[in-house]
Amino acid sequence: MKNQINRRSSLLRMGGALAGLLTLSAAKTAKAAVQTVFVSTSAPKGYDPTKHKWLMCIDDNKCIGCGLCAEACKKENGVPEGPYFRTWIERYIIPKPKPGSGETRGEAIVDSPNGGIPKGGVSAFPEPTLPKDQIEHAFFVPKLCNLCENPPCVQVCPVGATFKAPDGAVLIDPKYCIGCAFCVQACPYGARFLNPVTKTAEKCSLCYHRITRNLKPACVEICPAEARIFGDLNNLHADDPIQKFYEKNRVQVLKPHLGTEPRVLYAALDKEVR
Amino acid sequence: MLPFKLPPQILRLVLVAMAIVGSYFVARSFLVPPSFGQYGWYRGAALAEIASREPVFAGKQSCDECHSDILHKLAKDAHKTLSCEGCHGVSREHGNNPDILPVKSTGSHCIRCHEANLARPTWLKQIVVKDHYGPKCTECHLPHQPTKSP
Amino acid sequence: MINEVTNIVVETLPQIQGYVYPNESNVHPVWSVLIVIYPYITGLVAGAFIMASLVRVFNVKALAPVYRMSMLTALAFLLCATLPLLCHLGHPERNYEVMMTPHMTSPMAIFGFVYAWYLMAVLLLELWFDFRQDFVKWSKTTPGFQGLIYRVLTLGVTDVSEQSVRLDMKMEWILSIVGIPSAFLLHGYVGFIFGSIKANPWWGNVLMPIMFILSAIVSGIALCVFNYIVLTWIRRKTVNMRCLDAMAMFLFYALLVDAVIETLDVLHRGFAAEEGFAVLQTMIREKLFYTLNIGQVGIGTLVPLLMLGALQLLRHRVPEAVRRTMIFCSGAMILFGVLMMRWNVVMGGQFFSKSFRGVMSYKMEFSGQEGWLLGAAIMCLPFIILTVLVKLFLSESEQLQPCEHLPENSSKT
Ligand code: HEC
Ligand code: HEC
Ligand code: HEC
Ligand code: HEC
Repeated sequence: MKNQINRRSSLLRMGGALAGLLTLSAAKTAKAAVQTVFVSTSAPKGYDPTKHKWLMCIDDNKCIGCGLCAEACKKENGVPEGPYFRTWIERYIIPKPKPGSGETRGEAIVDSPNGGIPKGGVSAFPEPTLPKDQIEHAFFVPKLCNLCENPPCVQVCPVGATFKAPDGAVLIDPKYCIGCAFCVQACPYGARFLNPVTKTAEKCSLCYHRITRNLKPACVEICPAEARIFGDLNNLHADDPIQKFYEKNRVQVLKPHLGTEPRVLYAALDKEVR
Repeated sequence: MLPFKLPPQILRLVLVAMAIVGSYFVARSFLVPPSFGQYGWYRGAALAEIASREPVFAGKQSCDECHSDILHKLAKDAHKTLSCEGCHGVSREHGNNPDILPVKSTGSHCIRCHEANLARPTWLKQIVVKDHYGPKCTECHLPHQPTKSP
Repeated sequence: MINEVTNIVVETLPQIQGYVYPNESNVHPVWSVLIVIYPYITGLVAGAFIMASLVRVFNVKALAPVYRMSMLTALAFLLCATLPLLCHLGHPERNYEVMMTPHMTSPMAIFGFVYAWYLMAVLLLELWFDFRQDFVKWSKTTPGFQGLIYRVLTLGVTDVSEQSVRLDMKMEWILSIVGIPSAFLLHGYVGFIFGSIKANPWWGNVLMPIMFILSAIVSGIALCVFNYIVLTWIRRKTVNMRCLDAMAMFLFYALLVDAVIETLDVLHRGFAAEEGFAVLQTMIREKLFYTLNIGQVGIGTLVPLLMLGALQLLRHRVPEAVRRTMIFCSGAMILFGVLMMRWNVVMGGQFFSKSFRGVMSYKMEFSGQEGWLLGAAIMCLPFIILTVLVKLFLSESEQLQPCEHLPENSSKT
């Protein structure tokens, strides 16, 4: 009797060990299978994100409001039609103060019809409603992700799907984003949106697929006025446009009081721009 | 084993708690992507994935190979800052295979940049199309050398 | 013709006054009805729990009759608390990532853990210790499936000796003490989800978590009042007036403090009048007029304050039936008012552009992913769960009493 029990228990023990081994290896293959979902297949080679530091400068004296950048961005990145923009152009019209009002200038009128992309080929921006002699200033401002040093959107992402890459680009991992839109709310610049097709958050990626191939971002490439200047702080050469831009201009960022430390620097910005 | 005996209900709860925490860590080892944390609190592989998208615009440089004459002409005149694809549209496919021609460029897109608008900077030469000489811009301006006429 | 009409319907853009960023000019808001009821539900949980804790920690005996009911209420609502969040996600199937790779700086990720801690380490444990004895008792007397449930719930521990019951009590007391800060944390964190957004002047506010906690307590007590009266009515029992009066008293004081803090917030905003104040004013005047001034302030705060305040002064001159109706009405009004408060916070933060140059109106979906229908369904769910819980765990004979081993009895054992 006792013997039997002994034999049975040792058998049991062996069976248990075997089952354990089997489940262990099964678990390993299962884990590998689960994780292949996350593994990329087409990694471009020869780009080391730790060796670059990208930034964008915008010379606001130069923007002519043609909307090519916003249009090119949509084409380059497959952004859906409708109110979804990774970059867009705003027009500011600052009227003269009403006589005797004691103000320095009138209330700014801002618009950005279709993000500045012309619908019929001419211009997206209609004639201002004000007569010409009542307008003090009028100018265009291109907007995009401000590449914050302290990005509020990254701070609030619950899963780590949006992040600041070592090269300074603030990116979104479309395979990992859960689409909670917290980052959309947190971005002070309105640069983010929920893509209605993929249901994930989306924003300017600095055309990451281009800059890693030594191309300029699409908006910079297409800009006819050199209003957008793009460069790599870690690899500045002597006559780098960025260097020239720095020497020539005093720069400003958008909403500096929020402490986001943007790396999109504007020259010749007006106080009304935010 | 223990120096004191745990009351049965506490013991049971400790077991349940251990099971929950344990299964959390097992799940974690399965579900955290392998490259997570490579550079920071995100999937390191995402960088390469985002970069693996194919570019759409070919860029000015890539036209140099076959159209260097035009690039030269362009660079010498007022349109030097313009990109070919700003007027000709996306031409990547054409660059790879010249038989696929880019969309034919007409004069109409000239006014996209040159139509007078108050908000445009004054350095840009602007015209009021109605009052200008005529609607067919290329009749009087060479698009690649706009100050010259054909 | 018909074609044209449908085209117009499809292309209705949101009504916009002034300038909003192009990405903001969506037809539907990014956060909608679901995100309104999410803080509402968590608030009810925290409030109901804090009310129950009054019995355990502060030894308020008058409230003892509703102890178990409010704990079960908290549980029923807590089980549904993450549901609205989950349903609103663009990729609900990826929700596990929040627990697997929580980003520690994100209030939403931490909320996952605070939630898990609160559900499992506080609420379920406290309920378990409170009900353990009864589980053992019921598992022996109840046949069939229900009996099986009780048996599983005992977790196989059948020891109900005096010593172990005393241990249960001690654990419950400890858990209540741990539970109060946890409840504050739970709902404070929900407030922080909004309060941490510095880009949005309507949200980014240090007072936000505090206002959320206070309104949570108010709404939780109001919910308990509501449930208690409804439950006694369904079971055709008489309401314990001492208990109801005590609840009304706590409700009154909590509401008072809440109203004061919210007034302070308004004063501070008006005084500081920071960037974006003008657009907030426009928004309140045009978009939140009814929900804020009438819903939240009028129906949700002033009228109940007056009614409950009058009851505090004239308690003994008001006949019982009238008192009961008044308390019930103010409870229901507060519940409505706090829902309006959540609406005003969540939607108010999206009715103006972050460029501070314009306000927009949105079209709320009826049946979509973030629509009214789903919102209403999620709001009903906790009540259904509560019905089941009450059926299972609050038997009719018990008169909604807590189990015998309340702290005041501890000296006897
Ligand atoms: C591989 C050489 C090659 C490259 C690179 C190339 N092209 Fe061409 N392209 C040609 C040839 C060959 C023709 C003439 C085809 C014809 O006339 O049938 C042509 C014609 C054109 C035309 C005139 C089409 C027409 O309707 O007459 C345009 C415009 C043009 N190219 C634009 C571009 C642009 C912009 C780029 C840069 C992105 C570019 N090409 C790059 C070979 C090239
Ligand atoms: C201002 C807009 C503009 C820009 C910038 C521009 N093109 Fe053109 N291009 C035109 C127009 C318009 C025509 C058609 C001319 C015609 O019909 O006479 C044309 C015609 C051509 C042709 C047809 C042959 C010819 O010489 O007429 C080629 C090839 C061409 N472009 C290549 C280029 C390349 C390469 C670049 C970039 C270096 C470029 N273009 C930049 C507007 C532009
Ligand atoms: C993408 C914007 C853009 C388009 C499209 C464009 N231009 Fe230009 N054009 C410019 C810029 C920028 C300049 C240089 C600044 C200046 O001199 O005004 C310029 C300069 C000129 C000038 C020189 C004025 C001078 O005397 O210096 C002429 C003429 C001209 N463009 C004609 C045309 C014609 C004709 C077309 C259509 C084929 C055209 N442009 C299309 C942007 C554009
Ligand atoms: C009939 C010939 C003719 C046509 C057609 C024509 N232009 Fe011109 N354009 C001229 C002449 C001549 C000048 C220089 C004299 C002047 O400034 O009026 C000129 C000047 C310009 C300038 C420079 C203006 C300045 O202030 O220096 C621009 C820009 C321009 N044209 C654009 C266009 C565009 C765009 C079109 C097509 C809508 C067009 N032109 C059509 C003849 C023409």
